Amino acid sequence: MSASATSRQRILDSIAATTRPVAKAPAQLAEGYAALPRGYQRIGQLSAEACVERMIERLREYDAEVVESTPDQLPEAIATQLGSSGRHTFAAPVGLPAEWYAAGFNWKMDSSLETAEIEKAEGVVTAAFCGVADSGTIVLHHSAMEGRRVLSLLPDWHLCILLASQVVETLPEYFRRCPQPPALATFISGPSATADIEMTRIKGVHGPRFLHVILVHDEGDARPTPQ
Amino acid sequence: MSHAAPTHPVLDPALAPPFPQAALPVLRNPQLRKNVAHAIDVIQAKRARLVTEKTDWQELRTAASAMRAHVLENLGAYLTEFETKCTAAGGIVHWATDAAEARQIILDLLRKENASEVIKIKTMTSAEIQLNPFLEAAGIGTYETDLAEIILQLGGEEPSHIVVPALHVNRSQVREIFARRMGIKDLSDDPEALTAAARSYLRQKFLTVPTAISGANFLIAETGSVAIVESEGNGRMCLTLPRTMITLAGIEKVLPRYQDLEVMLQLLARSATGERMNPYTSLWTGVTPGDGPQRFHVVLLDNGRSSMLAREVERQTLKCIRCAACMNACPVYRQTGGHAYGSVYPGPIGAILTPQLMHMHHAQSLPYASSLCGACYEVCPVKINIPEVLLELRHQVVDQERKRAGRIFDPMYLGLRIANLIFSRAWLFHAAQRMARIGLRCFTRKDGWIHSLPSVGAKWTQTRDLRGLPSQTFHEWWAARRKEAR
Repeated sequence: MSASATSRQRILDSIAATTRPVAKAPAQLAEGYAALPRGYQRIGQLSAEACVERMIERLREYDAEVVESTPDQLPEAIATQLGSSGRHTFAAPVGLPAEWYAAGFNWKMDSSLETAEIEKAEGVVTAAFCGVADSGTIVLHHSAMEGRRVLSLLPDWHLCILLASQVVETLPEYFRRCPQPPALATFISGPSATADIEMTRIKGVHGPRFLHVILVHDEGDARPTPQ
Repeated sequence: MSHAAPTHPVLDPALAPPFPQAALPVLRNPQLRKNVAHAIDVIQAKRARLVTEKTDWQELRTAASAMRAHVLENLGAYLTEFETKCTAAGGIVHWATDAAEARQIILDLLRKENASEVIKIKTMTSAEIQLNPFLEAAGIGTYETDLAEIILQLGGEEPSHIVVPALHVNRSQVREIFARRMGIKDLSDDPEALTAAARSYLRQKFLTVPTAISGANFLIAETGSVAIVESEGNGRMCLTLPRTMITLAGIEKVLPRYQDLEVMLQLLARSATGERMNPYTSLWTGVTPGDGPQRFHVVLLDNGRSSMLAREVERQTLKCIRCAACMNACPVYRQTGGHAYGSVYPGPIGAILTPQLMHMHHAQSLPYASSLCGACYEVCPVKINIPEVLLELRHQVVDQERKRAGRIFDPMYLGLRIANLIFSRAWLFHAAQRMARIGLRCFTRKDGWIHSLPSVGAKWTQTRDLRGLPSQTFHEWWAARRKEAR
């Protein structure tokens, strides 16, 4: 480690020697940062309904399957989606509301499942932290309702429950919803894809090949509470 | 000097032939040129559509450019902040002054893990330090997991683009490589079937190999987090399943705050692949108990970068976020593809980055591998004025030449000295004009054009015609006209 410690000093010295005329003291640094130009669009212009509509449209452009639901009908909507998938074994984080675990399916509840167990699941159901309509992006912060990172990765089929109140229009609006930066975050924009062979877009290389979204019109107040 | 064109591209700038020579194999290979042009046309069309749609594109560029410049001016402060936060979150930060030190740090870490195999997320920085051959020689099997990187690794090919590294390989070539190296007998050349083959080839590796290596798209100083931008999910696999993760990142990759991703992520995917957003972006912070690798190392690599900070013109080079928009827009890259640049960083950004990483000791032909048309500057999401840097580097190459002892034997040097002499004296200039008129007469065809010249002159006429000298110069005509008027 001592070699790296010396290298650390050498690199920092070299940087200091080359940036000295411009490098700032901590207070000036914060000032310099605050003065950075931010003339880009930070707040969306669409109404809440139009914003949700755009989210759905963009998700569909990514070949994600989107259905809409009310909070009351959500458990039924989940059961319908699971049923029509033709799959039986589903993984899910332990923190989901009890009524989301539809009856008649084989559930693998994850808090610390072995990878091999998750690999055996045919699908996964999770909540989300935020949806960004502009790019059709779903952001996970991997809370108890969104599950560990591996959970929404290995199963080939992902059903994500997104609330209308979680949908924002622009990416900067998502960042405004994070006063504390998350330790873990995954931004998902459509199913896993590649265009490495002759720029032909192919769905599903390693991540889930099928992304299903239930968009819940919760009017901003009926956020389901975690268990 | 004329060497035989090498059959296999050399991407080590210390060993690669000069650009004009390295470009010949591609220029003579119509299939390769077709593959490159097709890929670029597709990305360019998608990018153009999505950039037009973004009404605040120029404001985003301005913000990104200022932010990256601010980071580089204060790089020491942001790097130490990153180090403190990453360490507090359970990560271990290493510093490497050059490629050799970075390779050794990574090998030592792998030895400590008793690793015999390692899975890798595509990282240009690891290609820059030639990590794979080093690890292989030390007995550690490296498995690239990005589809394009698998194609290159299994096919023994070299990357020719920084975002789509195998764009020079077409589907039937991929089919041949996969069939041979994966032992699949009846594989079709349908991209869907080829992708599926790669998926099953790698699945077991993801689930069993306990050590992974990644690069970094961004380091966040405020939190000590690392961000990876990808499409396939191989990145998420490598970031989630192994026990130990080693991230190799250039020191310039840092951003001040988490929020700053709101600028970079909007620019990167649109510029790189012509998508509104890439399928997956992952961000992690040190070690999270119960989720992902429980041992995490970051190797911060200098390898020539800190010396590029000294002057504002060259410093811009380090603003780069590796989107490859410049190579997609470049008329030279379009003709030559990436291998001609003799570096893992091709195209306009490679032409300014590579010679500087080499401290101007190698790759001196690259600043000339450009028409200075400015298309690269126009598309650059962080507004790197590449033509300006190219000119500055040309200046430095000329200064080097000027100091070279054997320069007086160089025909180019000699020619320019003589030209200097002639152009600075009117009587010599007029005499030279008269001599050239006589000397060139036998090369000038009836149409008034010179189609081929011998010796050094052939360098001009092999690609373009030269207009023959007129029988009278303007000066002569003017003098004759005044005499007549009198």
